[in-house]
Amino acid sequence: MLGYVVRRILIMIPTLIAISIVIFTIINLPPGDYFSTYIAELQSSGEAADLAKINFLKAQYGFDRPLWEQYIFWVGGLLHGDMGYSFAYNLPVNQVVGDRLLMTFIVSFATILFTYIVAFPIGVYSATHQYSWSDHLLTFLGFLGLATPSFLLALVLLYLANVYFGISIGGLMDPKYVDQPWSFSKVVSVGAHLWIPVVVIGTAGTASMIRRLRANLLDELQKQYVVTARAKGLRPLKLLFKYPLRMALNPFISDIGSLLPHVISGAAIVSVVMSLPTTGPMLLDALRSQDMYLAGSFLMFMAFLTVIGVFVSDLALAVLDPRIRLQAGRTQ
Amino acid sequence: MTDARLTRREVMWLGLALSTALVAQEATAAELQETPALKDDVASGKLPKIGMRVPEDPAVAELATIGTPGGELRMLMGGPKDTRMMVVYGYARLVGYTPSLALVADILKAIEVEHNSVFTLHLRKGHKWSDGEPFTSEDFRYWFEDVAQNKYLSPSGLPISMLPQGEGPRFEVLSETIVRYSWTRPNPLFLPDLAGPSPLFIYRPSHYLKQFHQKYAEKDVLDTLVKQANQRNWAALHNKLDTMYRNDNPDLPSLEPWILKTKPPSDRFVFERNPYYYRIDKQGNQLPYIDRVILSIADSKIIPAKTGAGESDLQARYLRFDNYTFLKASEERNHYKVWLWRTGPGSQLALYPNLNANDEVWRSLVRDLRFRRALSLAVDRHEINQVIYFGLAIEGQNTLLPQSPLFEPRFRKAWASFDPHEANRLLDLIGLAKASDGFRQLPDGRPLEIIVENSGESTEQSDVLELIRDSWRRIGIKLFAKPSQLTLFRRRVFSGETLMSIDKGIENGLATAAMPPWEFAPTTQQQLEWPKWGQYYETKGAAGEPPSLPSAIQLKDLYGEWLAAVSDEEHTRVWHDMLQIWAEEVFSIGTVAGVLQPIVVSAKLRNIPEEGIYNWDPGAYFGIYKPDGFWFDLSEASAKSASAASPPSHAMPR
Repeated sequence: MLGYVVRRILIMIPTLIAISIVIFTIINLPPGDYFSTYIAELQSSGEAADLAKINFLKAQYGFDRPLWEQYIFWVGGLLHGDMGYSFAYNLPVNQVVGDRLLMTFIVSFATILFTYIVAFPIGVYSATHQYSWSDHLLTFLGFLGLATPSFLLALVLLYLANVYFGISIGGLMDPKYVDQPWSFSKVVSVGAHLWIPVVVIGTAGTASMIRRLRANLLDELQKQYVVTARAKGLRPLKLLFKYPLRMALNPFISDIGSLLPHVISGAAIVSVVMSLPTTGPMLLDALRSQDMYLAGSFLMFMAFLTVIGVFVSDLALAVLDPRIRLQAGRTQ
Repeated sequence: MTDARLTRREVMWLGLALSTALVAQEATAAELQETPALKDDVASGKLPKIGMRVPEDPAVAELATIGTPGGELRMLMGGPKDTRMMVVYGYARLVGYTPSLALVADILKAIEVEHNSVFTLHLRKGHKWSDGEPFTSEDFRYWFEDVAQNKYLSPSGLPISMLPQGEGPRFEVLSETIVRYSWTRPNPLFLPDLAGPSPLFIYRPSHYLKQFHQKYAEKDVLDTLVKQANQRNWAALHNKLDTMYRNDNPDLPSLEPWILKTKPPSDRFVFERNPYYYRIDKQGNQLPYIDRVILSIADSKIIPAKTGAGESDLQARYLRFDNYTFLKASEERNHYKVWLWRTGPGSQLALYPNLNANDEVWRSLVRDLRFRRALSLAVDRHEINQVIYFGLAIEGQNTLLPQSPLFEPRFRKAWASFDPHEANRLLDLIGLAKASDGFRQLPDGRPLEIIVENSGESTEQSDVLELIRDSWRRIGIKLFAKPSQLTLFRRRVFSGETLMSIDKGIENGLATAAMPPWEFAPTTQQQLEWPKWGQYYETKGAAGEPPSLPSAIQLKDLYGEWLAAVSDEEHTRVWHDMLQIWAEEVFSIGTVAGVLQPIVVSAKLRNIPEEGIYNWDPGAYFGIYKPDGFWFDLSEASAKSASAASPPSHAMPR
């Protein structure tokens, strides 16, 4: 087991290096850099760019150097915990990201909670009541949730919430609380705004989770150990929770790996539509304007979390399910 | 006799005679009133009394109604970079445009101009920065000597508009309140640039910035500051903090009506009134009337919806003409009014045949005057106006708008009527034969297909192109639209790969003779009709190609004449000659102009005109209407009368 853990950790290093090269290359693929995009944007709206200041920044950040030197410079900074400088915000990246991370966590954990709370009972119910009218109804709703584009749902809900409940459009709280310290009324305001993004972002995930749980559980319910247990007279509910449901949970544990980056990036498109103060819209903006350090460091951070997440979920699986072998390739 | 003396030594006094006379009267007539919102601070001694805060001879605002101070103005912006819009809207300039586009002294008490080459600036005595420190000629000297000419802070030296023919001015400090810039030749770009929406700031809060300047700060102290701010050197720190236009440093003293109080990054920026502002109304109230301005940041696509939900008190940015009906629908429910202002570009969209295209056959074709005229004659502007702009726009070429004093109807009408018959005749004359499918062929036998590229920013461009494609089919020319991405689009035009592009028309359709006619001559690479000729001028021959079309050379020479001219008559004459050539040569093919911009205004907001111009330069959007004079009418009666107010004058058809 220990050897497995060490090997897994060592493999993470070349993985991260490869990811950093890919990220850097992709960000630099479109022609030009942040400054040329910025100048073009200003000029197309008739504003004159302050060329003196732009030339100054270009020289400061080595934009006139070859690409590989810029890459070394960036990675070297990352190793020191220096995520670089955001040109669009005119601030170090750490400071730009900091404020938004909390909001992102709140939205994402609320969404995950919502997904679990709604999907679990429904999934279990529709598996145990397969092909009943209630299963058909829930399945229909699930597919509806899967098929509705979330940004469309977002717009409809925003409009209805504004017209009927007077909730301000977009954002996670009433505008007047944005720069206030946390207080009870601020929490209430966040709560009043939070349900829309949670429902919107959670819908698709809930629907797919219902489907997966139902399918997994159906597989298990047919198995002999279930029949045996039932024949021995175990109460149906106890039987369900003790055996087949546990078996059906494996895919959810291996999901943890992809959950972590999901939590950080949020649902970017929905966040953009709803103008949420999360990290998603910021990442999108940074990529579009080629704000290299902001986008790059942020993607790197997410890649790091994914790698860690996969690692954690592998370990958890190994611990929880003794059937999983660590040395799959070697025993033969 | 007097005339002769004037031409010998032309002295232009902008606003001096007027403002001194006014101040002398008003200062005695109206007692200065303490601002209610600042009374506590004054009582507790945190702020000096109003008499000590405004300059000895403050600027007296000409307002439609005298307001009551107070209130909070909410606006929506698309990103944190938009904090600069408060410098645009605030529009406190050394000299600035009035709504009728006259150039007058604003922050300055007066300015003397001799031969357009010697500029003497008179400051207001006792004028103070927003932190209470005096605003003096030292602030001008600091910028000129220690910022603009410091090779670390400004590697590229003085700005272009201070370098006529590459030569900088002589700068003199005449007294605490008087500075002088003198060039050996005329510099007509200087004043328009000072009055711009993104102005040339020739002064800095020196008392604040000196602590970050190598020359003034102690080395150890400065080094720690640089380290704390995580900057590479003192120059980087100085430049980061010196953001008079970008406006993202709450510590930087300012002269604007509202001062940034929120430290970025944030999604909500608060601006508070400048207690040392230099303008008062006729009853002695210090401006601005409004205590606080709040900018909430939201995605630009959601801003029309938020505005419609009543979340903005004054909004035009990010609203488009096609939001009008939606906004109008909730006017009553959310207590605002929607007005339509004219926009300033010479054409909402214009086609630019690329005279520097790489394709040789194509290049010689678009350089043929008859071809450009034929293309223009085959655009059905009336149809575009009716289909896309509800018939509310002005049809015609890409040239000045009727509001400009230089406007003549014939400039706009030249080659702008829909006449496919005449267009066909011109194309036949060139010898572009029709193939069997009814479409014309290039002289080398290729089909005459024009690919029009655009920046892909809006669907409006594709809609207009769709209509033009239909009408060009009637003269045997095929049009294909190719949306691209902004940077890529410009790059392709600059390099000559693009045959024709569609983009906004000339920026300043409201020009007066005193404004530079650079948009009508090859002067910069940004001009999509002749990027290489423009680049040649811009780089003084280092890159690009010299103009080779006689008419383009003539335009370039005329622009040179304008730069060298001293009198208003000369400027007007050059402008006319240039507009005449521009109209005849059809370098760009205009469609419609003066498309309306929806302006959403809270029903309680006063002093903002119902009809106006929404333009970048000149205009600074709301800037020339001086938002420091806007005020909230909170009385019960006014709220009622406002909701029953008459509909705006540009009523929608039907």
